[in-house]
Amino acid sequence: MNVTKNARILVFSTVKISDPAIDMAGLLKLHYSPKVYTISVPCSSAVKPRWILRALAKGFDGVFIAADGTDCPYGESCTEKTGEIVKKTHQLMKESNIDPVRLKMAAICSVCSESFIKHINSFNDTLLKLKTTE
Amino acid sequence: MPFAGKKLYDALVVGGGIAGIESALNLANNDLNVLLVEKDLTLGGKMIMLSKVFPTLDCSACITTPKISEAARHPNITILTNTQIQHIDKQDKNYFKARIKEKARYVDISNCTGCQLCEEACPVVVPDQYQYNMVGRKAAYIPFSIASPRVASIDIDNCTLCGACEKVCPTGCIDFTQQDKEYDIIAKSVIMATGFNLFDPLKVPRFSYGKAKNVITALQMERLLAPTRPFNHVLRPGDGKMPCNIAYVLCTGSRDLSVGNPICSQICCMYSIKQAQLLMGALPMADVTLYYINIRSFGKGFEEFYEQAKGMGVNFVKGKVGKITEIENGDLLLRYEDINQGKVFEKKHDLVVLSVGVLANDEPQKLIQGWKKDEYSFAFQKDLFYTPSLSSIEGVFLAGTTSGPMDIPDSILSAGSAAMEAIRYVKQTSVDF
Amino acid sequence: MKQRIGVYICHCGGNISDYVDVEMVREAVAHEKGVAIAKTTVFACADSNQKEMVQDIKDNQLDAVVVASCSPKLHEVTFRAVVERAGLNKYNYVHANIREQVSWPHSDNKAGATQKAIQIVRAAIAKVRLSEAIEPLEVDTTQAVLVIGAGIAGMKAAIALSKMGVKVYLVEREHFIGGRIAQWDVLCLTNETGKELVSRLYNEIVSNKNITLYTGAQLIECKGSMGNFAVKLKLNPRYVKDICNDRASLRKAIDVCPVEVPDEFNFGITKRKAIYHNFPGEYPQAAVIDMNSCTRCGLCAKVCDKIDLDMKVEDLELNVGSILVATGFDPYTPAEGEFGYKVIDNVVTLSQFKRLLAFSEPGKLQWKGKPVKNIAYIYCVGSRQVEGENKYCSRYCCTATINTALKANEKFPELNHFHFTRGIRTYGKQEQLYHNASKSGHVFLQSYEDDPSRVERKGDKTIVRINDILTNRKELEVEADLVVLVIGMVPRSNNSVADILKLPRGRDSFFNEIHMKLRPVETVIDGITIAGTCQGPKNVVESINSALSAAIKSYSFVGKDKLMVEPVVAEVDPNLCKWCDKCTRACPFDAIFKNEQGVAHVNDTVCKGCGMCLPVCPTNAIQLKTFTDNEIESMIDVLANEL
Repeated sequence: MNVTKNARILVFSTVKISDPAIDMAGLLKLHYSPKVYTISVPCSSAVKPRWILRALAKGFDGVFIAADGTDCPYGESCTEKTGEIVKKTHQLMKESNIDPVRLKMAAICSVCSESFIKHINSFNDTLLKLKTTE
Repeated sequence: MPFAGKKLYDALVVGGGIAGIESALNLANNDLNVLLVEKDLTLGGKMIMLSKVFPTLDCSACITTPKISEAARHPNITILTNTQIQHIDKQDKNYFKARIKEKARYVDISNCTGCQLCEEACPVVVPDQYQYNMVGRKAAYIPFSIASPRVASIDIDNCTLCGACEKVCPTGCIDFTQQDKEYDIIAKSVIMATGFNLFDPLKVPRFSYGKAKNVITALQMERLLAPTRPFNHVLRPGDGKMPCNIAYVLCTGSRDLSVGNPICSQICCMYSIKQAQLLMGALPMADVTLYYINIRSFGKGFEEFYEQAKGMGVNFVKGKVGKITEIENGDLLLRYEDINQGKVFEKKHDLVVLSVGVLANDEPQKLIQGWKKDEYSFAFQKDLFYTPSLSSIEGVFLAGTTSGPMDIPDSILSAGSAAMEAIRYVKQTSVDF
Repeated sequence: MKQRIGVYICHCGGNISDYVDVEMVREAVAHEKGVAIAKTTVFACADSNQKEMVQDIKDNQLDAVVVASCSPKLHEVTFRAVVERAGLNKYNYVHANIREQVSWPHSDNKAGATQKAIQIVRAAIAKVRLSEAIEPLEVDTTQAVLVIGAGIAGMKAAIALSKMGVKVYLVEREHFIGGRIAQWDVLCLTNETGKELVSRLYNEIVSNKNITLYTGAQLIECKGSMGNFAVKLKLNPRYVKDICNDRASLRKAIDVCPVEVPDEFNFGITKRKAIYHNFPGEYPQAAVIDMNSCTRCGLCAKVCDKIDLDMKVEDLELNVGSILVATGFDPYTPAEGEFGYKVIDNVVTLSQFKRLLAFSEPGKLQWKGKPVKNIAYIYCVGSRQVEGENKYCSRYCCTATINTALKANEKFPELNHFHFTRGIRTYGKQEQLYHNASKSGHVFLQSYEDDPSRVERKGDKTIVRINDILTNRKELEVEADLVVLVIGMVPRSNNSVADILKLPRGRDSFFNEIHMKLRPVETVIDGITIAGTCQGPKNVVESINSALSAAIKSYSFVGKDKLMVEPVVAEVDPNLCKWCDKCTRACPFDAIFKNEQGVAHVNDTVCKGCGMCLPVCPTNAIQLKTFTDNEIESMIDVLANEL
């Protein structure tokens, strides 16, 4: 596998929900691109748009929010709030001429290891396509 | 004053394996004053000797050593290693008197830094029991790198008293004048966490253990696979060759009336499957075959782990092994009945691992009067469904494999259970010393 | 800004070093800004290394530490304690996960793994460089525990906690206690019955002033956090006042009730009235009216003055410091047609069979009026599914079936037993039962994994067929008078508790512990423990052991009147805040209020540190401790900028 071929992805994962899923992907030896880095936050509704924009500006091809979804231990409103963050950031991205596909969100439950791999692989493909067309 | 001059504890924990450590931590974290006694040179019991543990494949050391470390520095826990309890006597309703014998180590452990210079200097080489005799060690030695306490000790039975170690020791902590120390302590409760014994495969002569060099036990394989392993590779002990066709013989000494152990040891299927998975990783070209009667992958995540092993290409043969014969080059011929096919076959392997079972440790019986055993010599559980940790003696509680075969998660839960009952007991019967 | 950072890179005994070149990582990070020492270690968590770290911190005046090893879920706590012992603040420690997120998932790409590990350690260094010392918050704890579920696990846990002097609220959704055990007859390896066990436990509970038992009670809301949970219960009335001592009039009330419905206690093989109790002497010893089937005809009230059809649902609020969840399992319900279930009329589940044995008179066993002689047991129904979701083994069923079959023979000596197994798993001492059954003439057969046994109807006969492994693939058939499906354990289908408490589930859909060996009864929700079969299949003894382990853990949260909690809370910069109210609306815990200066202020002891207030602030006035802009952005900068 050629390392340079993969897109550089920053994942915002959550300490109690999506981190365990990503950890379990490792435990199950499910492979994904080593250009995927995670930064853990308590809840996906805590991600500031400025962090996302900074990551994209500094060289990440894409940002993936591994959201708590309905499993959020802090409350029902999480899904909606994380959605708001994505919406707001997409708006900001458009204003700066950044393709909104470079920010993606999906709910990753605490055992959704396989779904995490699927999302990350397809996001990787999307970003690579974007790179070649640019 | 019956207690004058004696040290007093809320609980005496006998055995410093995972169950004993877990019990001690649970007691100490709830403000009980604990004495943890281990007869070996190091804490950790059988678990610390393992490579990785099923079904998560965490390294065993990553689970044991932090717990040991926490116990070692806990203000409520006193640890004695290399210490034999001579006997425990129930004095009256509410307390026990235990005769403690701290065996001489011939090293002042408070000054030993574990630098291992004595080990280098020592000219005596004997088989290393911590590596199941696959390699040698010195007479002045540290059991293994993650031992706790990680200090030297002199094996006086094999020492020639040449004094080489004394000369090199930078802290002067070697002391041949040390004597065993015997004294009594008083404890309000006792937790028996004396663990289990491994079945000795010499009792099954047809498996050629002890004669054929490349027939080993699963615990020896654990050491070959462990990060602190003797050869840094999985090699046959017979000739140092890398094995490429490995067989596991399950139920060695379990479910076998002919050796006097009719029951299932509960852990062998899973540790064999785990080792098979690790071997597939360590020796990618090797074939691994498990000969089994029934695969018993019953715990949380176990069946999935079994399926994973099948997926990796581990070969499972439902069959009973009749005889193992050493042939040319140290290879082995297995004669077995394939139950799927209803026929007897012979197959060549270059390394055979005996998945030896779990037997009761009869230690507690020697320690205390009134100790009752069940029909398999494990501890008698007086009230199985109400208080599983209750022994035949009031105030003595059972943790881990003292009461029967169990895996690590179950041992840990049983240790929690025993600690809970011991705390309750101590609170209820609390007497002022 | 930390300037003397110690970095430790763990081999994890090969788990990491087999795939990540740890020495290369060490070299790459040794010259990062602020790093004073960088070392590799075979086991970072081993006591010897912990001691070395403490020594290093003291000898080198380190002011912050990074350990790169396994997931922080395992040992972040361990290393925070190490730095604390050496005199540092535990928040001047950052954990880098290079096992679960590097060496394991990238074991196929060593170069890539090493590169990623370097980046992750650099990011951790960047974060720790900016880390600040913060002190844990002290909160008052409510010295009470809510135990949910009054089955064997819940009852044992409640008793144990009460003995420690803690107030216990034991809550049972059903109107009767005992859970599944009450439905079982003689338990294996002793001669005690489920009923006897339940009555011992019940007597201990009702005579204990520290335990308050609520039956017919449902958890409907949970707020707060470890040390201080505020829970709301819905108490469903029995519609029968007090404990009815006038058994005769109660009996009459049951007799006159015109409504008959399937009795769930007997898994539908018998009927009960709308006013009922499960069996005479069940606890609590009182009847209940099932309002879902009651027609409110009033006949019962005419013959028994204890009946009050106008009783209302009540709400109850409780404050507790910890919650122990012991909600148990459901027996698997086979699909229609699965081994003839619900299609062939003499196919029953093991649960139904046990009830049938319990209430049948000794002598001749009958099913639907026909005598039963040959019984075929089909194992692993709903467990170890080749197709289907339940991959796991249900653990208790082999032993339970053999025990049931052996006990059945004592009551009905003429029965013949044919066991259609997938390999018997009577682990440990339970093996003796298997041995006894084989000796006493039970026939054991084993099917191939890809070729299950089949149940067929042939004329008026029910035939079970198998290609048997044990007789060399011979096709065997047995004409069965009764087919018993040995059903496994599945998670409770109606488990609103899980949704309310947000308990995470494992791959098998049972509740998940943090770590099977390190923290086996704790969940990721601080202060909530799990016990018994809600965590996965267990037998009675295993359930009790887990219940007592959970009890001791819950006790550790409430045993003292103060509890130290994580000080990871949000903080508002009063100079930046323009008070727009957005943060207070975003906060799910009402932790933010407008203070006297007219700006937002966070109540430390209420804030749970979720960070939901951060992105909504238009002036970026809010920072979450340990997740500040500076810390996160410095990590982003490092990760984006590969060496």
